[in-house]
Amino acid sequence: MEPAVKIPRSVIIGIVLAIVLDTVIQISWKMAVEGVSAKCSLVDTALIAIRNPYFYLAMTAFVAQLFNWLRVLAEADLSFAQPFTALSYITVLGISTYSLHERITPTRLIGVALIFAGVYFISRTSHNTSTQPICTTGDGTSRG
Amino acid sequence: MAQAVVSLKIFGVMLVFVAMFVESFAQLCLKVGASGGPAVFSPPYRAFAQKSGFLDSSISWKILGVTLYVLEVFLWTSVLHLLDVSVAFPMGSLCFVGVALLCRIFLGEAVGRVRWLGVLCIIAGTVFMAL
Repeated sequence: MEPAVKIPRSVIIGIVLAIVLDTVIQISWKMAVEGVSAKCSLVDTALIAIRNPYFYLAMTAFVAQLFNWLRVLAEADLSFAQPFTALSYITVLGISTYSLHERITPTRLIGVALIFAGVYFISRTSHNTSTQPICTTGDGTSRG
Repeated sequence: MAQAVVSLKIFGVMLVFVAMFVESFAQLCLKVGASGGPAVFSPPYRAFAQKSGFLDSSISWKILGVTLYVLEVFLWTSVLHLLDVSVAFPMGSLCFVGVALLCRIFLGEAVGRVRWLGVLCIIAGTVFMAL
């Protein structure tokens, strides 16, 4: 196991925000296209969705996510930060289970546990490892 | 009729791979954009990107990333028309593999055993969640 490196607070906040926004996007997107028949064409689905207020919530969260994500990626490896977004699968599952009064099955719990384990392993790796040009631009010194 | 359904499913699976390929590249572009441009690339790719005027600025990469992302949303919506969510959802986690590979190849990020183990756990998790 590689030594644990302290992850900057701004990266942690950014990743948490990314998970929250991802959850908002997925749930509101789902609600925007809810009731649209699976047989509808892509164009019909889009036309129905844009009349739904949830569609605009999804779009707003999408834009916010873009700016947040660019901020996270400025400080952290993509291969470090991106796997954390898998935690939004769990939040979405939690919310849909709660709102649809579904039962939590043992297989789903195993799935949740595996995702937590995966994210834990990722969090034990160093958050910023990408190669940086050495003495070409002079901005490689801030690393560490 | 049954044959048509099967070939639609195969098309759907192929579309998943295309969508995940596009999403992985979208993420890569956003990372390059966020890191201030092609300086973040591993040497051979860095030289290539810096030679091209368009690819030498970070805003180009951000625009490219967003464009690919929008394309991915359309591809993924099409996938969900063809495949059951229980099949599409775990296959969607292939983008974690794609991103890890691209980051290692193009950006020289340290994607070691622990990081791969994490990715594998996440994929296995999505399979169980979809069961």
